[in-house]
Amino acid sequence: MNTTVFSSPFNAEFDVNSQEFSLAGVIRPRSVDEIAASISVLKEAIDDVRGVLYINVKRLVQMNNTAFQAFARVVLDACRSRSDLSFVVVTSSVVGWTERMFRHLNRIEPRVTVEVYDSKFYPGQAFVEDTSFIPILRTQTKMTWRHERTILPRHGMRPGVVMADICCGIGDFAMLVKKEFQPTRIVALDHSKASLAYARDMAASFGIADIEYTYGDASEMLLEDNQFDLVTCRHSLQIFNRPTVLLKELYRICKPGGRVYITNEKNSHCLGEPRSKSIQWTYNEVAKLFSHFDMDVELGPKSRRYLVDAGFDDILMESFMVTNLDGDPQDFADVIAAWENVYAGEMAMKRGDPPEFMERFRQGFSDHIFAALHPKGYAGWPIWAASGRKPP
Amino acid sequence: MCAASKKPAEAAFAPLLQFEMDMGTFLSDWQHCDQLSTFMARMISHNRTDPIRHSNFFSFALNELLEISFRGGSPEGRIDCIVYRRDLMERVKLSFTCPSGQQEFYREAVSRTHQEDAFSRYLGAISTDQTPNREVILLDLAINFDADVRLEERAPASITFVVDLPLERAIN
Repeated sequence: MNTTVFSSPFNAEFDVNSQEFSLAGVIRPRSVDEIAASISVLKEAIDDVRGVLYINVKRLVQMNNTAFQAFARVVLDACRSRSDLSFVVVTSSVVGWTERMFRHLNRIEPRVTVEVYDSKFYPGQAFVEDTSFIPILRTQTKMTWRHERTILPRHGMRPGVVMADICCGIGDFAMLVKKEFQPTRIVALDHSKASLAYARDMAASFGIADIEYTYGDASEMLLEDNQFDLVTCRHSLQIFNRPTVLLKELYRICKPGGRVYITNEKNSHCLGEPRSKSIQWTYNEVAKLFSHFDMDVELGPKSRRYLVDAGFDDILMESFMVTNLDGDPQDFADVIAAWENVYAGEMAMKRGDPPEFMERFRQGFSDHIFAALHPKGYAGWPIWAASGRKPP
Repeated sequence: MCAASKKPAEAAFAPLLQFEMDMGTFLSDWQHCDQLSTFMARMISHNRTDPIRHSNFFSFALNELLEISFRGGSPEGRIDCIVYRRDLMERVKLSFTCPSGQQEFYREAVSRTHQEDAFSRYLGAISTDQTPNREVILLDLAINFDADVRLEERAPASITFVVDLPLERAIN
């Protein structure tokens, strides 16, 4: 049986299946008595478990010393009375003080250890956070922006909006939005410090000072509830192993009556002429490859279902095709070449694919580039844009 | 250490934000600590490199200082809080009225944050105490937030903490 104690603005919860006690929100009591119920949940959890009790503070936004010392005392007392039990405190790399404070417990009782939850916990993050990918991300945004600048107003974008761009990557979308739509405020969050550093440098060089770039985990954000008129999250649900968790967070930070806008692909529908069969085979394999790493790059058309299931209404959905005819065909070819480098050069290698597969796999990308640059050719990359309203 | 002997270089710090409040009003609701620290943190962090995380760190530290004044303050007079900035550092100057005789307690508590055994004192406290005393809170700020804590003594029935917080460096 699971136990939850809600005492706004925080909650304490014990999940017996994962032997995990979690604290979330803001815990600033005047006295220990105010959090007695939560302390009891922790004590009961300790009585229930064998081996390891995980204490999850990833979503702990604030905790005063009164609360810290009360919970710490329970854990330290348990170490002294239960020689069979150890504790793993799971903190977030985003909220640095939790790691600093809880790590001291290890100095007092070695059976209390601290694990910092960061990008290495996500199966696909290492691929998408690779800094070598940055130049191609800029080209991709340039190509999609031609379409999205006209699409976005239909999904709630307007001058003066308060918005968040979650999984902002190198921040170029936020900058384009800033220039085109003049939002009142933009928070741009990502889990790659390298991408954020690039974003800040680029914003500074363009004289843009008021985009709030912040390091954060999209599934456990520090941002408060009901803050934003528009929350955008582009090309990210599809590379996240738990898209429903991410969508729940997007919903949480969106104001009632505001909208969440998502874009995703269906990679198997990438196409080109000539050499369509080879191209189609390779992109079918791309979808399988991502699936191997718990990512769903076929998510695009499923966006409507995800939004409905997350509680949104007034769902709007449309698709657009980025093609070699949109601008310079070489841009399109460069993007495909970069995909080949990551998908074949890194991901398929990591999966351990044999040489004969690799050869055919790479051929499809070459053929896609051939189609893009062919004087009579056509190459496409389909994207689904969808948004839902958080009920007022 | 004589806390008052260290003169802070006021001229180098630029004031960012100040609030002043009747102590009686401040002490009327515990939530004032959380609300004021959250608001002040948001306001002063907006142009830091990572405003959200800076605000989170700063709010933690300021809330602890406000909780000290809540627990140790007396209802007469006023509470005055000014936040300054110099480069990567924020300075909090917090003055509040307190019962006479408490200055000596705070003087010793602040002094201990600068002593060599500060860390062992901190570990000892969280290892054995059920609730934190005001000394442990100051040690927490010094150890976990790299804060430099000092006192200014202006009037017999008031206390002024001067706390330098290098949070921008700690976060990035």
